[in-house]
Amino acid sequence: MADVFSNIGLGLSVAASLQNLVYCMLGVVLGTLVGVLPGVGPVTTVAMLLPISFTLEPTSALILMAGIYYGAQYGGSTTAILINIPGEASSVITSLDGHQMARQGRAGPALGIAALGSFFAGCVATFIIAFGAPPLAKLALQFGPAEYFSLMLCGLVAAVVLARGSIIKAIAMVVLGLLFGLAGSDVNSGIRRFTFDMQGLADGIEFVALSMAIYGIAEVAINLERRQEEAKKVSAVGKLMPSGAELRACTPSILRGTFLGSILGVLPGGGALLAAFAAYTLEKKVAKPPRKFGEGDIRGVAAPESANNAGAQTSFIPMLTLGIPSNPTMALMIGALMVHGITPGPRVMTDRPELFWGVVASMWIGNLMLVILNLPMVGIWVKLLRMPYRLMFPMIVGFCCIGAYTINANVADIAVLAFFTCFGYLCLKLDCEPAPLILGFVLGPMMEENLRRALLISRGDPMVFVETPISIGFLLAAAGLLLVVAAPAIRRKREEAMAE
Amino acid sequence: MFIRAPKDFWSGVMFLCFAAVTLVTASGYSMGRGGRMGPGYFPTLLGAVLGLLGLILVLRSFAIRGEAVEKIQWRPLAALVGCVLLFAAMIQPLGLVIALSATTFLASFAGPDWRLREAALLSAGLTIAAVLIFVLGLRLPLPLWPSL
Repeated sequence: MADVFSNIGLGLSVAASLQNLVYCMLGVVLGTLVGVLPGVGPVTTVAMLLPISFTLEPTSALILMAGIYYGAQYGGSTTAILINIPGEASSVITSLDGHQMARQGRAGPALGIAALGSFFAGCVATFIIAFGAPPLAKLALQFGPAEYFSLMLCGLVAAVVLARGSIIKAIAMVVLGLLFGLAGSDVNSGIRRFTFDMQGLADGIEFVALSMAIYGIAEVAINLERRQEEAKKVSAVGKLMPSGAELRACTPSILRGTFLGSILGVLPGGGALLAAFAAYTLEKKVAKPPRKFGEGDIRGVAAPESANNAGAQTSFIPMLTLGIPSNPTMALMIGALMVHGITPGPRVMTDRPELFWGVVASMWIGNLMLVILNLPMVGIWVKLLRMPYRLMFPMIVGFCCIGAYTINANVADIAVLAFFTCFGYLCLKLDCEPAPLILGFVLGPMMEENLRRALLISRGDPMVFVETPISIGFLLAAAGLLLVVAAPAIRRKREEAMAE
Repeated sequence: MFIRAPKDFWSGVMFLCFAAVTLVTASGYSMGRGGRMGPGYFPTLLGAVLGLLGLILVLRSFAIRGEAVEKIQWRPLAALVGCVLLFAAMIQPLGLVIALSATTFLASFAGPDWRLREAALLSAGLTIAAVLIFVLGLRLPLPLWPSL
């Protein structure tokens, strides 16, 4: 207990240094910005900023990227409420009741409750990380290679279950991602694998170029096909503070949303999106009186907004303690840490306490900044909504090119960018979700290494994976998840939920 | 045609192609034995799984009806990939200023309504911003001008 507080103290002293405050501020401003701008998401932004982050201290880099991630949850709700265009996928749910409120002239309270709920959820989630992560890391320190392999398998299966569309395609994308991850020099034998005699691939496929190609440029190509520029009607904001009655009505919803979001965020494959959906569904079932959800009920804004922010933050737990990304943004952060020579996992907390606790504390500071940014300054963000996409996409392309080149000052990485742009475009056209691919790519080399070590210890006996309870547990969980999704009834439900 | 689910069919074909390349390439690496995994072990395993999944997708697409593939619009894709390649070709010999203004100018062709003045202003503005942020601000080692 006392440990936690001394750790939080350490974290605050790191996060409150002038330099880190600036990066935290920059992160949440950028996050809000990309949350507001339709067509640019946190994944794209973090991918574009990866090369810049390499010039920073790892702690500052992570603070910056974390700020973008949870900041985007705030910004996304602004557009969802004011123009019924969710800036982020996780705000889709918010637009149901939020935009109805805006049309009834209650946009202000909707924005207000979204920000307050998010702030509350963010504070709670910060403490959950502070209390929950250390025991988890301690447990993970005892994991051997077999447990790690099973854990990664479980994480990847969870990512598959949550991907939209066909399960088979999602599994195939994971496998393909793992394969892409293996390209380059093999650590054990020194052999160059899958380089096809190209010098540029000797160190493997550059992660930054891959993610910028898929989430940056390929997405621009798809957006340009699907987007029609239309005049967006922006609702007037009005006064921001919800009334006392509204606040009272929302309090249980915020608590439920925060609770549910915090749990769902920790699960591999979880995060903000799932949290928001689940919280809204729960709210419709339990809120009394079950008034008019979908017709501008303020609780329909409060619950998912709290949940997505809580989920966004607790999804840092598996990343920081186990080294397992729960979504593409986390995968990018793992990639960034690895460039700095830090392997995310249970050791981070003991070896680099200032990194872990600094990031946790910065989230709380960042949430405070976000409330200040979002409530009084909402007018500025609304103006940005009018920014046409045709002015934005050349910027994305230019930044991706510069980014791909500056990682190693290597033209080959820009060629990788071009190749995977085509590949990513094809995948999006064929409804193959790229998120599982990115997770597989990050985990590929680690999975192979753990498989190799596990088999080395057991002298080739595959039974090693079912000999310890933890490993069996992960494998059973993975099998269970797959079975559940394959079951027809649940499959239909899942499709309905995704279609909503 | 017998293909009832074109999206699944072509995804399956794509996965099969990747699986084939993987298996053929990995056959050149030593497999090792269970206790001592060689560099070919894991890729071969993955390649086989990928091939199986691709095959399932292809076969299933003959049986179960699914969505058609949306028509590929070549203009945005070609303009975007083209400008990335252009940047690759120009950055080292010509430097950031020329490469980036050319790239962003060409990129704007990918959009539906192209306007000369706007595209020129935009590319000039982005280039100035990039020089300020990346070279002067972050001191990234980017060549600014052609090296003579």
